[in-house]
Amino acid sequence: MRCPDAMRYATTLVCAVACVLAAPCLVTAQGTNPFDGDSGAIRAGRQLFGARCAACHGADAKGISGPDLTALWSFGTSDERVFRTVRQGVAGSIMPASDAPDDEVWAMVAYVKSISTVTPDPNLPGNAAHGREIVRSQCVGCHQVHGEGGRLGPDLSLIGQTRSGAALRESIRNPSEAVAARYRTIELVTATGERVRGASKGEDAFSLQVLDTNQRLQGYAKRDLERWARTDESLMPVFSPRELSDDYLDDVIKFLGTLRGQ
Amino acid sequence: MPHISLVRSVLIPGLVLTLAGPTWVAAQENETTSSGVTFDHLLAGLEEPTRWATFSGDYSGRRHSPLSQITPDNVDRLSAQWTFQTGTTTRGRGFETTPLVVDGVLYVTGSNNFAWALDARTGRPFWQYRRDLPEDLTYGASAPVNRGFGILGDRLFMVTLDAHFLALDRLTGSVLWDVELADYRQGYAATLAPLVIDDKVIVGISGGEYATRGFIDAYHPETGARLWRFHSVPESGEAGSETWPDTDVITRGGGGTWMTGTYDPELDLLYWGTGNPNPDYYGDDRRGDNLYTDSLVAVDAATGQLRWHYQFTPHDTHDWDSNHVPVQADLMWNGEMRRVVMVANRNGFFYVLDRVTGELLQGTPFTDTTWAREIGADGRPVVLNDGSQGCLPDMWGGTNFMPPSFDPAAGLFFLTARETCATFIPQVPEFVPGRSSPGGVVWIDQDQGYGALRAIDVYTGERRWEFRYPTPSMSGVLSTASGLVFAGDHEGNFMAFESETGRNLWHYPTGSRIWGAAAMTHMLDGRQHVLIPSGTTLVAFALP
Repeated sequence: MRCPDAMRYATTLVCAVACVLAAPCLVTAQGTNPFDGDSGAIRAGRQLFGARCAACHGADAKGISGPDLTALWSFGTSDERVFRTVRQGVAGSIMPASDAPDDEVWAMVAYVKSISTVTPDPNLPGNAAHGREIVRSQCVGCHQVHGEGGRLGPDLSLIGQTRSGAALRESIRNPSEAVAARYRTIELVTATGERVRGASKGEDAFSLQVLDTNQRLQGYAKRDLERWARTDESLMPVFSPRELSDDYLDDVIKFLGTLRGQ
Repeated sequence: MPHISLVRSVLIPGLVLTLAGPTWVAAQENETTSSGVTFDHLLAGLEEPTRWATFSGDYSGRRHSPLSQITPDNVDRLSAQWTFQTGTTTRGRGFETTPLVVDGVLYVTGSNNFAWALDARTGRPFWQYRRDLPEDLTYGASAPVNRGFGILGDRLFMVTLDAHFLALDRLTGSVLWDVELADYRQGYAATLAPLVIDDKVIVGISGGEYATRGFIDAYHPETGARLWRFHSVPESGEAGSETWPDTDVITRGGGGTWMTGTYDPELDLLYWGTGNPNPDYYGDDRRGDNLYTDSLVAVDAATGQLRWHYQFTPHDTHDWDSNHVPVQADLMWNGEMRRVVMVANRNGFFYVLDRVTGELLQGTPFTDTTWAREIGADGRPVVLNDGSQGCLPDMWGGTNFMPPSFDPAAGLFFLTARETCATFIPQVPEFVPGRSSPGGVVWIDQDQGYGALRAIDVYTGERRWEFRYPTPSMSGVLSTASGLVFAGDHEGNFMAFESETGRNLWHYPTGSRIWGAAAMTHMLDGRQHVLIPSGTTLVAFALP
């Protein structure tokens, strides 16, 4: 029988890590990650992460029932601290202590770090000041930037550090292509005929928890609804080149890349 | 009724002198002759309404109570009476126990090998036991769960995460004896509720993710002496060994026996499920059917000898252990009364077997699995999709160890079904003692999963009704003769359904997923109570 949800996928040490370990190196829980930036170990860590962590944290580490891990480094954490958390678990939560060998844990840390830390390209084209104006006029209704703005969509304060420019472009041009679990769209009609659209924040057999487009947290009993349904369409509008030119998009990406955590 | 029935003045006279009062005196008078549970009590099963004295309530494994005070008409008035906080968490798993209740006292095991005797009226503890576990647990560290006590006389029986087997004094919680089942450092652990029969206590072992070899043991209840051992993977040269390659792989073939079986006292046969072959996902070095993994074995209770077996998933590479409660019934089958045993299996099929001979009477899918849709004339699944034709049920399976229930009057088998979509990627494992060797990874499409409570017509295998949950659930089921089914879900709801239609009648949000546990019920002071473990709590419900 398999073990806990957080460990629900089983795995073995994949070949890439085994090859890395064939070379003499000191692998300990102290100090720096011996696999930091190592492409082979990162590939192995990706598999290991999928096996051991993805059930709660998502294959992209952006979080499902467990938290988003991709912003950890932006908040100033260290590889060693992440290692310790994996090794020790989180008391009082379902995050278990891992009994995986040190090299496997380090490989997973290297993987998560590799998809977390994005160094914005300083040579990207665009005008950051103009990008700020566009974000203020077009985005903050639903997104926060350094504590200001709406909450319907993800906070953008660190988005430039955790997502590549290409990924951000894709999200703006085709927002429905990939929607994080906690921002998926739900539409419902109440018994009184009120139509509600929002982000699905939770569901059980009897109820729904919604952050609606008026940015109200609302709970609904399913039995009281005339109907409800999820849709694959993101709440975020499509910004095609007609709504946001390629030059303006460059400006937005440039601006987002300048943002740092506070 | 005595409020505290655990007291025996012969044991603690000082306490009685200090606290003597009307209630306590009554307790002494009524209970000084109590000597706990007898084999006759166990044989009687749920006939005594105040008692639930073995994991499934009785030897049949039906988890179907004759109690009828709570009905479809009044269940919506059910309310919480008390909550017991265990104070111990189970990372990633559940509070999987089934409490026993005898003479108004609950005997409860918890995660991390805690255990308690509780006042069934208040949830207040009489005593707490906690095993001092080693820090280098193997399988027991990843699943620090326990599913319950066995009881006989004044002894409670409990297995441990470091693969020991204990007898505790039911009055004090003190250890009477302690024997080692296996070396936990190799990957062994023990989590099930022991099954007490006349003069033996039967236990099994966990650890099929490690290079281990499963077994079922019988122990003397008074001394802890081992009476016999049945290995779920045979020795080289024994019958069944021909289903393994002629290598040392057979000595670490897995086949855990980690879920409590059932017992037919007339046939003196034990029915026990066996777990996955090891490695879980990599099968190239263990070509063959790998008997007796993923099987139901019928074992002679007197000798430990195998009477018959039926393998549900030959040469499993998906971790589809067959550690389920085998449910017994006597059914009129094609005009003939048959003694049957029924299993809703992790591979997504519902089976009816003759429990005297092991003959397969029926095998039908109760999930939408594409792995196989029928059982062939040879009794083997006709595999349509080995994974190359799309996703398969995940390694948690179409259902799992969480107990189902069976209503003999309705002919309905109630189970928690899981519909999931997973891709299995086998990898060559590395065998290191004490380290798991699953042999691969599994990718699960989280967007495609859901769970359901389903009622299966045991005569046809057809689905009579279902109630869907948003996500796959790991909750067990209890049914009652009054026409109710109690179940839980991954969102933490404890629910009651009309057994005939599946209509939801009541639910209570417990605040934590109900995982691996099934409810039990008993009468107390004239009121029917229903108990469910959830998260770190045990909650008792009754009508006002």
